Amino acid sequence: MKKKMLSALLCAAMVAATLTGCGGSGDSAPAAEAPAATEEAPAAEAPAATEEAPAAEATGDTLVYWSMWDAAEPQAQAISQSIEKFTAETGIAVDVQFKGRTGIREGLQPALDAGTNIDLFDEDIDRVNTTWGSYLLDLEDLAKANDYEATANAGLMAACREVGGGTLKSIPYQPNVFAYFYNVAIFEEAGVTAVPTTWDEFLDTCQKIKDAGYTPITNDNAYISSLFGYHMSRLIGEAATEEVVKNGDWDNEAVLKTAQAYEELASKGYFSETIESNQWPAGQNTELAMGTAAMYLNGSWLPNEVKDIAGEDFNWGCFSYPAVEGGVDGTEASNYGAQVFAINAKSQKAEQAFQLITYLTKGEADALLSEMSVGIPADSNNAEWPALLNNVKPVMDSLTTRYPWGAGAEANADMTPIIIENFTKLCGGSLDAQGFVDALKAAGN
Amino acid sequence: MKKENKVRDHVNWHREFRLAPGYIILSLWVLFTFVLLGWVIGASFSTSKEIFSGTVFKFETGIHLENYAKAWSTSNVSVFFMNSLVYASISCVLLIVICAPAAYVLSRFTFLGNKLIQSGFVAAMGVPATMIVLPLFGLVAGWNILNVSLANRAVLIFLYVGINVPYTTIFLLTFFSNLSRSFEEAAAIDGCPPMKTFWKIMLPMAQPGIITVTIFNFINVWNEYFMSLIFANSDKVKSVAIGLYGMINSMRYTGDYAGMFAAVVIVFLPTFILYVFLSEKIIAGVTGGGVKG
Amino acid sequence: MKKNKTMIVVFLAPAVIMFSLIFVYPIVRTVLMSFFKIEGVTDAMSKWQFSGLANYIKLFNTELFRISMWNIFRIWLVGGLIVMGLALLFAAILTSGIRFKNVFRAIIYMPNVVSAVALATMWLQYVFSPKFGLFKTIGKALHWEWLEKFQWLDPSHLFTALLVAYCFGMVGYHMLIFASGIERIGTEYYEAATLDGANRLQQFRYITLPLLKGVTKTNITMWSISSAGFFLWSQLFSMVVSNTQTITPVVYMYQNIFGAGNSMTERNAGIGAAVGVLLSVCVVLIFVVCNKLFKDNDIEF
Repeated sequence: MKKKMLSALLCAAMVAATLTGCGGSGDSAPAAEAPAATEEAPAAEAPAATEEAPAAEATGDTLVYWSMWDAAEPQAQAISQSIEKFTAETGIAVDVQFKGRTGIREGLQPALDAGTNIDLFDEDIDRVNTTWGSYLLDLEDLAKANDYEATANAGLMAACREVGGGTLKSIPYQPNVFAYFYNVAIFEEAGVTAVPTTWDEFLDTCQKIKDAGYTPITNDNAYISSLFGYHMSRLIGEAATEEVVKNGDWDNEAVLKTAQAYEELASKGYFSETIESNQWPAGQNTELAMGTAAMYLNGSWLPNEVKDIAGEDFNWGCFSYPAVEGGVDGTEASNYGAQVFAINAKSQKAEQAFQLITYLTKGEADALLSEMSVGIPADSNNAEWPALLNNVKPVMDSLTTRYPWGAGAEANADMTPIIIENFTKLCGGSLDAQGFVDALKAAGN
Repeated sequence: MKKENKVRDHVNWHREFRLAPGYIILSLWVLFTFVLLGWVIGASFSTSKEIFSGTVFKFETGIHLENYAKAWSTSNVSVFFMNSLVYASISCVLLIVICAPAAYVLSRFTFLGNKLIQSGFVAAMGVPATMIVLPLFGLVAGWNILNVSLANRAVLIFLYVGINVPYTTIFLLTFFSNLSRSFEEAAAIDGCPPMKTFWKIMLPMAQPGIITVTIFNFINVWNEYFMSLIFANSDKVKSVAIGLYGMINSMRYTGDYAGMFAAVVIVFLPTFILYVFLSEKIIAGVTGGGVKG
Repeated sequence: MKKNKTMIVVFLAPAVIMFSLIFVYPIVRTVLMSFFKIEGVTDAMSKWQFSGLANYIKLFNTELFRISMWNIFRIWLVGGLIVMGLALLFAAILTSGIRFKNVFRAIIYMPNVVSAVALATMWLQYVFSPKFGLFKTIGKALHWEWLEKFQWLDPSHLFTALLVAYCFGMVGYHMLIFASGIERIGTEYYEAATLDGANRLQQFRYITLPLLKGVTKTNITMWSISSAGFFLWSQLFSMVVSNTQTITPVVYMYQNIFGAGNSMTERNAGIGAAVGVLLSVCVVLIFVVCNKLFKDNDIEF
């Protein structure tokens, strides 16, 4: 079938190219096929022509929103529903394109550089404000004009201003907190009654879980650098950690201390056996959600991401990364933030875009998103959290210091993969603490 | 093909025995391929839990066709299938229209620069995409036309054609040089001017080569990833490779392994089906068998 | 003759124009760009700042870039040896007069036509899985504990995994080229050798191999071309975060120029251009060496 169409197209090309023939008797055999082919050719190209027509109206009055969610995710479904309502109420048409995290990370910047018509987009607070900071519209005036902050989460708005360089360039929604998530059933079975708040208690907890026959800790390559960042930041603070990573100051004794702490965890067998080969999302799905591993340092989006595998009755617990002896930060510090909306500085429809953002981050739409995606609501009037996150609220409320993504571990893009590689080996036990430090030093040259 | 399929009079067991190691090696490889594909297809009808517990082929909870429904409906599969079909078809036609005359001239006439152009084309086949993508991107971005989807499509097709020009020309060049000159001589005696001779006589004679190179071009454009990622990432103009990559990611983010494998099968099938029908042609094309007609 | 001249010009013009636009102009501009500091890819030339060799020096001083070059070199060399070895072996078997030749050939070549997106996902998510992977299952069935326990995806073995998966797909193509080369060798050589009492292995060693120089050159050339453009496999094997085992220069460039990396560093399109130039220089070097090694052989298909 395809073959027929192919040759039909080819013949059509040949015929079309032969504007004037030799005519006469000299015609060779293959040419005789041509008339038959011309009849087929238009049919073969017809769908192409009809397909172009609706696609041509890309511009016009439509708002273009590139979303970080994948169409299959509940966030996307909630947002789609709300956008439909929004369009019905305001008459503003929205072309929403669900790119997914990978799609946004890999595709947004080239598209913006090429001047693609994108009015608003969203992603993690740090990525939007730092990586794409130069593309953003300043939203201070719009927010003021619309009295946006009356029902917004003040802490998150402050965080947005902080990462935006003192001004508001993004609007937070789907707040999240990055902490240890655990399987309450395993904790209970192992006889752990209180969540660990210090490193010693943490070690104790791990031992009990191990004795009960479960894997205490698992992780995936996508998040494992946060273990390093958190521990470093507990010891010397986030700013100092960032300095160490940026300047390659691997001789700082906190690096070795952190490595030794993880060497101990590894040598005592607290990590999953497959920790080194866990390519996201293997660890969160096949270990944590399947109930063989107990703890995973991750964001509060985790219960939602694995809910199909973990099942409805999975009981989630949460605690902040424990404090470390002699460290400067305690459990009051963590990475918390939100996904944020931002408006393209080149957008011609900033007003309408802001209208859409307001609609999505407040009232009904915000509540719907929270409910469908097991997320934290952004509107301060939506006080009720999804049941799966009951144990997250106290942790979120207790935080006063904000770490950026990775708590400083990913401050140097050229080093990130190297840190991840060696830290993973450290957790898997194939590298010892000194070896870890040496490897980072060697890479710094 | 025909020669090899001829039924041998009787099985020469001694001979077959000596070939046994060969059979075993190839069979193992083929078996591995089948198990790989078979499992993926099985998994695509299963559930994530069954996949994790290694009970894919038991189908304890029945056959889950909804994986396909889900994978298909999350992304506009039909849109990007159609897009790629259009891109690939138009590019293939343009490539022949552009490259066949060039290949013919390069193979038939000696003139200043002939060798230079030929070596330029051969060298271009080895140029990494990184080398050309930045200026092209800067250029296209500067025109500010990617918002008009028709223009975006035109740019894409232009790029697909451009990057395949050297390969297509070189392929057809070998083909034309193997055609006898006596046809042109006869046409010239009949009073047919060279250009018409080409369109009326030489091009139709090159049909086997054209079909082969077109199949290759079609597959190349269909599977092209890097250029499409940078130049076509808006939903309406998205091509298959980008769209399906997104589809697989979508399933990963929701932890839906069964859906992910269903997506893999959807990605896999079109070219696989094409291959089932055209494998002889394709293989002949790789080995130059097509060149001899 | 005059007629021919117009014909040559008219027939050549479209192809040459396309070629100049898509290859010549960008290559020249990329080479130029690599000596400048350029903030945005789209910046006009007037905004470029000449920086001499600074981009190259910076690249050579970046461990991650060195790793990416090392990776691509390993893929080219180790992968090349594996693929060429298997391809030659399979080609020899295929042409030894076995039955079902066409079936075997078609199935082994098949991965070449399938989208790499699908292939890589199958390998990464299924074959190598430490929980339910195919290799684990095989190891278990055969009681090969090393295979059952082998952690394909950990940082020490991820490269091996990538290589295995990639080579699996590439063997078919190179096998076809070897096979066609073998088939083109006249049977009279073998008949004479058989009369002289040479066995099959000796025939392979002393007749087949020396006469395969032309196709070997083709194979090496094609392999080098596909290695240089190595992008998609690497991208698929390092989802979410890039990693030291699978990063290649093209990925490095992509992440730096198009902001797909994890955090913002200094933006400089000149660095990306320099990556392209360095890669191309490597390809040219390989071609030159290849030409020296197989001097008098034209590329054969």
